[in-house]
Amino acid sequence: MKRYKDEGVRVVDSHYKVPGRVKWALMDKLLLGLSPKQYIIQAVRNPYNWVLAAIFAVGLPIIAMRFILGLGSVTHSSCDYPWGLILDFGLFSMVPLSSSGFQLGTTVEIFGRHDFEPIERLALLNGLLGYFFAVVYLLVDLGQPWRLPYPMVVAYGPVAVLFLVGWHVATYLSVQVCEVSVAFFEWIGFPLGKQGVRKITLGLTVAGIILSTLHQGALGALYNYAPGKVHPLWYSSAFQWLHFFVSSIPGGLCMVIVVSTIARKTMAWRCDDRFLDNLDNLTISLAKGASMGLITYLVIKLMGIAHDNKWEYLATGYGTWYLLEMGVGVLLPLILFAHGIRNKMVGLVRFSAFLTVFGVVLNRLNTGFITFNWKMAEREVPTWQEFMMAITLFCVYIAVWRFILYRLPILFTWKSADAYATASETSAGIKHGKNPEPVLAGEKW
Amino acid sequence: MKGTGNWFLWGGAMIALFAAPVGSWAKVTPDTLELNALIDLYEKVNFNHTRHIELLKDCGECHHHTTGTLAQNPHCMKCHKNSGATENVACRYCHLGQPFSAVALRQKDRSAYHNDIMGLKGAYHQACSGCHQKMGGPTGCQDCHVRSKRGEAFYSTSSFAHSQAKGEKKLQN
Amino acid sequence: MKRRDFLKGCMACGTAATLVVSNQAWGIGTFEGYPEVMGVLVDLTRCVGCRTCEAACNREQKLPAPDEPFDDKSVFKEKRRPTEKAYTVVNRYDTNSPKGPVYRKIQCNHCNEPACLSSCFVNAYTKTSEGAVIYNSKVCVGCRNCLIACPFNVPGYSYSSAFNPVVKKCIFCYDTRLKYGKPPACVEVCPQEVLTFGHRNDLLRIGRERIKEKPERYVDHIFGEKEVGGTSWLYLAGVDFDKVGFDTTMSNDPILSNVKDFLGIVPMVLTIWPALFTGFHLLATKNKDHADHDNGHSGQEVGKP
Repeated sequence: MKRYKDEGVRVVDSHYKVPGRVKWALMDKLLLGLSPKQYIIQAVRNPYNWVLAAIFAVGLPIIAMRFILGLGSVTHSSCDYPWGLILDFGLFSMVPLSSSGFQLGTTVEIFGRHDFEPIERLALLNGLLGYFFAVVYLLVDLGQPWRLPYPMVVAYGPVAVLFLVGWHVATYLSVQVCEVSVAFFEWIGFPLGKQGVRKITLGLTVAGIILSTLHQGALGALYNYAPGKVHPLWYSSAFQWLHFFVSSIPGGLCMVIVVSTIARKTMAWRCDDRFLDNLDNLTISLAKGASMGLITYLVIKLMGIAHDNKWEYLATGYGTWYLLEMGVGVLLPLILFAHGIRNKMVGLVRFSAFLTVFGVVLNRLNTGFITFNWKMAEREVPTWQEFMMAITLFCVYIAVWRFILYRLPILFTWKSADAYATASETSAGIKHGKNPEPVLAGEKW
Repeated sequence: MKGTGNWFLWGGAMIALFAAPVGSWAKVTPDTLELNALIDLYEKVNFNHTRHIELLKDCGECHHHTTGTLAQNPHCMKCHKNSGATENVACRYCHLGQPFSAVALRQKDRSAYHNDIMGLKGAYHQACSGCHQKMGGPTGCQDCHVRSKRGEAFYSTSSFAHSQAKGEKKLQN
Repeated sequence: MKRRDFLKGCMACGTAATLVVSNQAWGIGTFEGYPEVMGVLVDLTRCVGCRTCEAACNREQKLPAPDEPFDDKSVFKEKRRPTEKAYTVVNRYDTNSPKGPVYRKIQCNHCNEPACLSSCFVNAYTKTSEGAVIYNSKVCVGCRNCLIACPFNVPGYSYSSAFNPVVKKCIFCYDTRLKYGKPPACVEVCPQEVLTFGHRNDLLRIGRERIKEKPERYVDHIFGEKEVGGTSWLYLAGVDFDKVGFDTTMSNDPILSNVKDFLGIVPMVLTIWPALFTGFHLLATKNKDHADHDNGHSGQEVGKP
């Protein structure tokens, strides 16, 4: 796409191909303003697509097999380890990383920090896609996924923590869809929808905070059902839910840093100046928030050990593993963040964000799988098909990310007719040799 | 009157003959017993009662105090120190064939001492196998009662084994 | 304008809060169990590992034919657990005791406050008045939280089924027997009368009597009397319970009590957060014009009074 943009193809960043006169058709918007042939060429030229294609070629048939032949055909069918890699990676790890939605929403709407706006939509989209794909992973893992609506409409078990998780995730997904719909309505040209949503944004944001606090914590509380099965260093009788909730704060913020770094690197053509110019500063600001989350998390983890007096476990093999997870995933990022923030070293901050994301994922995998059933003699390693399914679904997630970022005004600002009139003099569109038409009165967006 | 005198003599002798065995009917010791409560799964057991009497001599080993031998277990002696023979000595009179049926549970007297009496099947096995192990009697399931065809199906064994190939492998091993 | 936003915010939050069903912690207080439940006392000193109970369960519950015959003792080489094909299994433990190896029958313990029931979000489990913990496969979604929650690792799941995988576990022969007051199949068939069926209270009394009468034969503990809130299936053993595969570190609190604290916090958050964050909003944005934030998105000045 970068090549096309340099060659003079106009990217879709407003409703009008030719200002005031020719509107982009939906097909144009979908194909990024390229002709179908151009679109296919750029898709084939992109090496990332080759990797995706290879993964899909192997992974999609395995997922099909899971649905046709049953879970037993692609997993160990373990009754001792009922929750495997799909759930631990796809749901338990992705949900904390998707907490950016409520965090940035709160920052901008509740606390009025509009300087975060350039990155707000990216964070909201991260939240939406993360939760959506967590549900996709869940549907792959559930024994009878077509019964997913049952706890909503058929049979209620309100005592169960999972009941809360189900209702909250469903409600929160709706909230996030509304929040991201603002960008969608801009893109599709439905100003009424955008205005409608903007009116209830405050309510949506507060609802988002409530729901997020509870279900991030509830995912931790799920492990309270198995106090003897999770290793004591990863299990806290009193604070399990707090550990999960607090670790989601740095997780979400750092995921935004990670995603924005990747976007900047791989789709700079799509980012506008407002995004690119502010990104470094915003990255540092996000890192500040993440640092506070990390130090809080570190302390409450230590408090958790002290509360149940589990210090002696640190001397075991699992203890070493625990110290490694805390060291690489929490302590090291804290140190790097401190240095990077103080000295405005954005590169270091970005690296540290990657470490934090890794740390959160490792923590969830440890709690749910690696140290689960620590008292049992045999450990269970997931089947290669499970690994493949997890990777495949993650690649679908990446592909959807990319699809949306290429099109919706997330990384760039959707130009109104007025703004386009002034900007077009400097944009690449001038190469077409067309003079900007005068703006028709009343065509405000 | 010779005829009436003879009548009385013969009548009295008949009565005497009848009267004598009545007392001992209650005390007939069976020679063999046919135990077929498990007929569903196993062929019937021909229990050689006489042989066990010869081997054990003390009836109390199986019949507690009911045949007249004195109780010797200190727990039992607390109440049964002077208990003698009872009317019924067969096992099934106290050890029920269906100890856990709804009827049996309803009739259970929670204040009674013997509220933990084993059922018949358990009593047989517990009583017999302990002694058999010590004295070299039959200890395997089929040593006493052979499995019927239905029993083989029940245990998924022999001709009903899930995998014949596997079964043969095991035999080779 | 700000007041309007605030009220709108409150309405939206309130609606959101009512949409989400709040979990309330059930009444606090110790629960002593249902008075008239049935139970089974498993006397491990009597078991000889004949596996007839496994065969009886297989027949009663119409389970598939096993890989090995039920009189095959080589299965004892490995420790087994209940699966979708076997609701009960017997394991052998060589304890180096002069009494010989100990055999243990494993099946659902039909807890007084079952963890599986507490963790099910579609209410698929029911503790019947007879004491059985039964399962409704018609609503099960397959989340397998019950497998995670069960402290005894009992429920199996039929992963092999593509279109109707369900939880498979011992149901105390409820449908075919317990409902009618009859003992379960395994109890009825056991030749050594390892399993004693009766009212749970009576079984506890019987268990204590057995221990009192023969203290050299039994360890002075009935497993399941208090563990995780008490179970309907109780165990007596002649050796220490942890040597025959029991988890002796279990607390006496039912598994549900571990999540009660969190569930209690839920309505607190639902109530406090709206006011807290709307308050933050008002404090943080006083004198700031709301209209500002539309600028960045559409690049246009929205003139608002």
